[in-house]
Amino acid sequence: MSRLHRFLRTPEAVAGTILLAMLFAMALSASLLFPGDPQAIAGPALLPPFQNWSLPLGTDRLGRDVLAELFHGARTSLAVGLAAAAAALVVGAVVGTLAGFAGGLVDEVLMRITDAFQTVPGFLLALAFVSVVGPSLGVVVVAIALGTWTGPARIARAEVLSIRERDYVAGARVIGMHPLAIAFREVLPNALPPVLALSSVIVAAAILTEAALSFLGLGDPNRVTWGGMIAEGRTVLRTAPFLSIVPGIALVLTVLGVYLAGEGIVETTAVRRGLS
Amino acid sequence: MSLLTVSGLTKRYSRGGKTLTAADDVSFHVEPGETLALAGPSGSGKSTIARLVLRLIEPDGGRIEFEGGDFLALGGSALRARRARLQMVFQDPLAAFNPRATVARVLDDPLRIHGIASRAERPRRIAALLERVGLAADLAPRAIHEISGGQRQRVAIARAIATKPSLIVLDEAVSALDVSVRGQILDLLLDLQREQRIAYLFISHDLGVVRAIAHRVILLDAGRIAESGDARAVIDTPRSAIGKALVAAAPRLNRNRP
Repeated sequence: MSRLHRFLRTPEAVAGTILLAMLFAMALSASLLFPGDPQAIAGPALLPPFQNWSLPLGTDRLGRDVLAELFHGARTSLAVGLAAAAAALVVGAVVGTLAGFAGGLVDEVLMRITDAFQTVPGFLLALAFVSVVGPSLGVVVVAIALGTWTGPARIARAEVLSIRERDYVAGARVIGMHPLAIAFREVLPNALPPVLALSSVIVAAAILTEAALSFLGLGDPNRVTWGGMIAEGRTVLRTAPFLSIVPGIALVLTVLGVYLAGEGIVETTAVRRGLS
Repeated sequence: MSLLTVSGLTKRYSRGGKTLTAADDVSFHVEPGETLALAGPSGSGKSTIARLVLRLIEPDGGRIEFEGGDFLALGGSALRARRARLQMVFQDPLAAFNPRATVARVLDDPLRIHGIASRAERPRRIAALLERVGLAADLAPRAIHEISGGQRQRVAIARAIATKPSLIVLDEAVSALDVSVRGQILDLLLDLQREQRIAYLFISHDLGVVRAIAHRVILLDAGRIAESGDARAVIDTPRSAIGKALVAAAPRLNRNRP
């Protein structure tokens, strides 16, 4: 496990890993530590943090336990962030590979579609999509992926354009491999590293977009989300600022953690490439 | 009937308004079990012709007949099936393989694609192929980047003979190898030719190697055939200007002469 070892030697990676581990621990332990509905009323309304130790972070406007909401919100953020990023990376890598490998008309058509998606701001696209289809977890994931797959597609295409001229692709044609098999078995796996380097940025962006959608009331109404909590706290920002600050801090630490861990991975693979 | 007949093959590239003719009305034929060498200086179009014959690039004009059929008329699955009979070995044995591949996967692909052996039978066939090219069968699980250059070129030859081809295009196949390994690989190629009557289209800039392995040679200059004939006769007494220049540039050949 020398790669893991090298990964853990960079300070960014250690900080990012700790933050992400905390986030995963929160998400996984949410239903163990806080069984039952996190949106149920647990005590008096607007209880400030650190007053009552059974409700350590206090309660919101309706008397819901903020800590329980925070834990359950971690789940939503993580699920949406990872699912949306995975969808964006898969779609982007496949589209980019097909465009780069096929060339000609296929390339033109796919890249003009990519351009069309890229000219519309991603958040606007997500907003429009959720408004039309209706808010649910799956729709939010698709909405975020709609605006983020273009980056991976462009990078994958650029990488494929250089790989398809290599001898081993010619070798695969000589032994009679089907073009689709060449694209997805020979070319795509070798085009992936720079695409994956983008994944931390995409996960971070997806988590923020999800929060922004929830803040605007377009998140899944049946789930607690950090964006929704901030929106909820906004109305009492003067009297109970902690209701917005607590989920805000959670959001910042999460995005920071994802970003730092991603940076650490890029650093590790860069070192590995430099050595080989 | 010839195994491979190429007639009037032409390929032009245009770059920045200038047209470069990489192959200009090239015609030749290869008989079963024979070695035809294509030799010439850099940029003379040897590799272009090799790639045209393999349909890795498409010609602007001319005909290619392979095993009695119009090779240029084939497309899609018919072409892929035909490729079993016409194989290639590349110059750089590292670049010729997927960097993530293992030896076993490299040899498994042609056997699987052309339905030569069932899944259960393939490991045995792979071991047999490795042994045929002088490698240990336990090399199979190793990654391509873990083995030496000479071993890689042997794996490349094993992949080329896996589908029992009648013609193998060797594009500078021994140029990147050091001299002692080069001799062993040439011996292996000659053995395989005797054993399976495989014809070689041998692309090389090294006239010493060409003289040792080829039956006939074609000397190319700027995409045109400058001279052709029996390999020893052409190299010992070249008549074309490019032939004389090439022989003069090969120090080993000069020194051998009294």
